[in-house]
Amino acid sequence: MSEAASQLAPKERLRVAVHAVDLPRRVALGRVVAEAGHLVVGTLDAADVVLADGDGPPGETRPVVTLGGADDDVPGALPRDADASQIDAAIRAVAAGLVVRLPGAREAGFGAMRETDAHALLTPRELEVLAALAEGMTNKAIARRLDISLHTVKFHVESLFRKLGARTRTEAVAKASERRRRETISL
Amino acid sequence: MSDQADLLTQFSNALATRAESAKNAVVAIRLAHERHMTGMVWQSGIVVASEQSLPRKDDFELVGAGGAVLTARVAGRDPSTNIAILRLAEQLASPSITAGDARTGAVVLAIGADGTGGASARLGLVNVAGAEWHSSRGGLIDRRIVLDVRLARREEGGPVYDAAGSCLGMSTFGPRGQVIAIPTATLERVVPQLAKDGRIARGWLGVGLQAVAVPDALRDTADQSSGLMVMSVVENGPAAQAGIVAGDIILSVDGTPAHRFRKIARHFGADSIGRKAELRLIRSGAVMTVQATIAERHAA
Repeated sequence: MSEAASQLAPKERLRVAVHAVDLPRRVALGRVVAEAGHLVVGTLDAADVVLADGDGPPGETRPVVTLGGADDDVPGALPRDADASQIDAAIRAVAAGLVVRLPGAREAGFGAMRETDAHALLTPRELEVLAALAEGMTNKAIARRLDISLHTVKFHVESLFRKLGARTRTEAVAKASERRRRETISL
Repeated sequence: MSDQADLLTQFSNALATRAESAKNAVVAIRLAHERHMTGMVWQSGIVVASEQSLPRKDDFELVGAGGAVLTARVAGRDPSTNIAILRLAEQLASPSITAGDARTGAVVLAIGADGTGGASARLGLVNVAGAEWHSSRGGLIDRRIVLDVRLARREEGGPVYDAAGSCLGMSTFGPRGQVIAIPTATLERVVPQLAKDGRIARGWLGVGLQAVAVPDALRDTADQSSGLMVMSVVENGPAAQAGIVAGDIILSVDGTPAHRFRKIARHFGADSIGRKAELRLIRSGAVMTVQATIAERHAA
C-alpha cells in the first residue's frame, strides 16, 4: 500500500455500546463489532456509537445505528440483516458525524396501486416462457417443454422484451419479477 | 404602494391567525427519543393519525393545546387508507371540521403539532387535485390530493386547510417523500367504522392475483382482453374451497369485468362477507363459472 493510501485508511478503534434485548443477538453483534476492530463497551459506559438491534434505548443521546428499527430519526439506519461490513461502515460513518441510509429507504410512503398498461400485460403463455427463461433454458429447450415451434418461442421472447422494456433475457426475468412483486394483489 | 404592503400584511396576519387557532385542531403524539408526530383532533374523544407512521403499540401520550399531557389508546387502524384513530382517556374541546374540496393551484395551510402544545404551519399549494384512487393496500381514497408543501416527519398527520378554512384532509407522506392529503371525505367514511369496530372489514377469497392479457384465441369467448390470473391460492381459503386453482384467469365477479382489481374492489367491501360471488373464469382454455363464498379478511 502506498503511503497516501495508508493515510487514507486509519483504522480507528471506536467504543461501541451494543443494545439488544435478545442475548444471542447481543453476543453476535458484539462479535461483529469486535471483529471490525472496535471496542465493545457496556450500554452505560462512555461510547462513541450505540449499535441497537431494533429501536435504541429511549432518550439515547449518543449517535445510534439501528438494525431494523422503526425509528426514522437516528443517524444510522440499516436493515436487520445488514452484513458485518455494512455495520462496520455505518459505525465509522456515524461516529464521524455522517448519516447512513440504504438507497431507496425514503421511497416508501403511502402510494397508489401499481398497474401495468393494458398493452404491456403479459399473456399466460408469455408467463410460461418467462418461467422457462428464469430457469436459464434455451429457446430450443423452451420449444420442447411447451411443445411449440422454435419460431413461436422467438416470437414470445421478442414480445416479452417489448412489453417489459428489456434488452436481455436476464433483464426480462428481473423486470417481470419486480412487476409481479409490486402488482400482485392479495384478495 | 402602501395598499400593496397592507395586502401583504393582511395576508400574513390572516395566516398567523389561522395557525394560532389551529393549535386546538392538533395534538402531538409522543414517540421515543423525545420525538413526536401529529394527530388531528377529530371529535372530542377521537384523534386521527397517519397509520403508516404510528408505532405498533397500544398506548400513547399526547400533548394537547397549551401543553396538557393526555393519554390515548389506539382504537383502530386501517393500513389500506392510512388512517389510525386514538381514543382519548379524557375529553378535549374539538374544533368543528368543514370538509373542503381540493382544487389544483389553491393555497393551503398545513398544520402540525410543535410538541409543546402549539401549532407549526406550512404554506403551499394544491399541486394536483385528481380523481379517486386505490392505494397499494387496496383501500379507496376519494380524491388524489398532492400538495406542494414541505413537511417535517413530526408534522405528518395534521390537518390541511384551504383559504376558506375548510379542511381538505390529513397530511401524510406518499412515495419518494411526496406530501399528499388523505381527503376529509375518506376520513368521514373510515373514522366512524374504525371507532365502531376497530378495523375496516373487507371481503377475502384467499388468492394472489396479477393482471394478464387474455390469449388471442380466447378473446372472443371471454369477450374481454384482460383479466386477473390466480398466482397463488391460500390453503383452505374460500377460493380453494370453491375449487379455484393457480393459473385460472378471473374474467368477472358478479358480472363486473375484472380487467383490473380496482374494477372489482367494490364487490369485496364489508357488506360482501358471507355472500356468494359468481366468478367467471378461464381454465384450461375454456370459460366457466364458479361460485365462492366470500370470507372476512384478517389483518395483514
